[in-house]
Amino acid sequence: MGLSIASFSAAVTAYDGTNCDAPGDCWQPKPGFPEKIEGTKYDPKHSKEELGKQQKAIQAMERRNAKRAEHFKKTGEWVYDISKLE
Amino acid sequence: MRFLSAIALALMVASPYTMANQKLDKMSKEDSNWVMPGGTYDFNVFGEQTEINVNNVDQLRPAWSFSTGVLSGHEGTPLVIDGMMYIHGPYPNNTFALDLDNPSEIVWQHKPKQDPAARAVACCDVVNRGLAYWPGDGDTPPLVIKTQLDGHLVALNAKTGKEYWKVEVMDISVGQTLTQAPYVAKDLAIVGSSGAELGVRGLVSAFNVKTGAMEWRWYATGPDEDIGLADNFNSENPHYGQEGLGQKTWEKDAWKIGGGTNWGWYAYDPDLEMFYYGSGNPAPWNETMRPGDNKWTMTIWGRDVNTGLAKFGYQKTPHDEWDYAGVNVMVLTEQEIDGEMRKVLTHPDRNGIVYTLDRETGDLLRADKLDETANWVKYVDMETGLPVRDPEYSTRMGHRSRDVCPSAMGFHNQGVMSYDPEQQNFFIGINHLCMDWEPFMLPYRAGQFFVGANVWSYPGPKGNREEGIGSGQVKSYNAKTGEFEWSVMEKFSVWGGTMATAGNLVFYGTLDGFIKARDSRNGELLWKYKLPSGSVGYPLTYTHNGTQYVGINYGVGGWPAVGLVFDLEDPSAGLGAVGAFKELQNHTQMGGGFIAFSLRGQGPFDDLSVGEYKPNN
Repeated sequence: MGLSIASFSAAVTAYDGTNCDAPGDCWQPKPGFPEKIEGTKYDPKHSKEELGKQQKAIQAMERRNAKRAEHFKKTGEWVYDISKLE
Repeated sequence: MRFLSAIALALMVASPYTMANQKLDKMSKEDSNWVMPGGTYDFNVFGEQTEINVNNVDQLRPAWSFSTGVLSGHEGTPLVIDGMMYIHGPYPNNTFALDLDNPSEIVWQHKPKQDPAARAVACCDVVNRGLAYWPGDGDTPPLVIKTQLDGHLVALNAKTGKEYWKVEVMDISVGQTLTQAPYVAKDLAIVGSSGAELGVRGLVSAFNVKTGAMEWRWYATGPDEDIGLADNFNSENPHYGQEGLGQKTWEKDAWKIGGGTNWGWYAYDPDLEMFYYGSGNPAPWNETMRPGDNKWTMTIWGRDVNTGLAKFGYQKTPHDEWDYAGVNVMVLTEQEIDGEMRKVLTHPDRNGIVYTLDRETGDLLRADKLDETANWVKYVDMETGLPVRDPEYSTRMGHRSRDVCPSAMGFHNQGVMSYDPEQQNFFIGINHLCMDWEPFMLPYRAGQFFVGANVWSYPGPKGNREEGIGSGQVKSYNAKTGEFEWSVMEKFSVWGGTMATAGNLVFYGTLDGFIKARDSRNGELLWKYKLPSGSVGYPLTYTHNGTQYVGINYGVGGWPAVGLVFDLEDPSAGLGAVGAFKELQNHTQMGGGFIAFSLRGQGPFDDLSVGEYKPNN
């Protein structure tokens, strides 16, 4: 099952997924497309703030859940509304 | 998050082997029960019963039915435990408990209050794939575990329907929802994620069923410590890739909105204490906006159930260009492949390949096309594990790709797959759908759709593209040989999956509103019944008071029926599904319920006094 990286050829005309830089890393740009999209017409120009929103939401949910579970452990009663927990 | 995970790890290592795990496994093997999605931990969707068989299946008739009172797609199947049936539905995800001795009385019902805004961030109808069950341990009562579209995971007392705990898993304000059935292994409720069409980074979490506390949580993309890799991750197959790839195969921070949600099915091996599932598509659909292999989206995972840490991960579709969300069903079997007995998992993917892996090591053993018309890939190289792409059917900015097979809807989607252990064949409900696809640039705004492609799906080469029919197949597949033993065409995609029995039967529902039975040995159609509405769930079977029943949810919806459900006409609307299924509305309308069938329709109401009002004197 071993895979020899050295056996891969660097010269390609079209991306067919079989030329790997490293195990598990075989992407190549298609003909006419850039290696990096930053600064090109394909630059997604993602906002850092938007990219961070999911993690913030998840951390907030984890904090609320931890409070609920803690209360449940103490009292045996599950209270969903955290405003009712001290 | 990492802090919690570390505590979880320490706790779980210290905890003794739990009996509840064995109890559920044992219950799942009784004919009177259907205790989890797929029926058993193997997820073989198989009934040992032979009362209903090839010789008498034409005598199947409805025994009783139940309307859920809501419309939209009714995916999954009910649970049956100790003489009680638990029925679940799409948004608002009401749950009903019915006594099988008298299903005319609802024992309890749980009707969640949800923010209706959750509907607006569901990509593909407001479906839900079902319930899970934990059998109780003396201290904690038996629990029915459910998900809600608004992102909650809820445990209900199975006897009373009262909420036992309720945790937040997903937040609709950032595009996250839940549609999958949760999964119980040991004392854990495992739950995935939805929302790759809104740029949601996939995650899988486990909650302690007894305390409601989170035990572990791992992601599909990003740093290795977020993804949860065991020290020996992919050590048996290092060419799959190992460390650092959750970031290295992305440009900059694009992995933070990288998809890889898992909203399909799980399977579990109690001996190895490993569970298996697939992570979904990367975001956005526009491939040009995310150069790289985009690991670990589109990956078959084998994870330790106690810690959640991954022992292996095999990426099926590196750098997805087609939305072949890799979430489909996993069925666990033992097979002699190339002369060696192996414990394997078999997995029919959206991308048109059915994979078989050794479920202990992750070794790739088989990768066969579900239909030879799949054209994005020439073949999967078994040495490297890499799909050899045909650049002609790639997608990219500034280009309308044509006649790409499969469509984004896949040659297989969320439907389950059954397996007959005697015949050693898999019965696969297949979509025969291809597409045109053209991406466009778009920004990411949390809570908004982040797709970036116009898609036109239509029936594949073997169907009738002009009339919009011939978009389904059912096939019998043998993993030992890689051969399809029989294959039949269907008018529409076989979306809900199949259920097989030892009576040499394979049952499935169709989008145009039939439940059908075929001879599982040769595919011959033996019986069908016209349901009130199309089916996107899968049949189950159970024996109650000595009678075998076959049951199925009806209520069309899900991705194939979004045109019908939301009254859409533009063929590229509904992420390309509307055109492919324009003919569906001439065969069915919405519905929602469950029907139980038995030979000659015998059932609880044969005794006419059952369910009657009895005056006091």
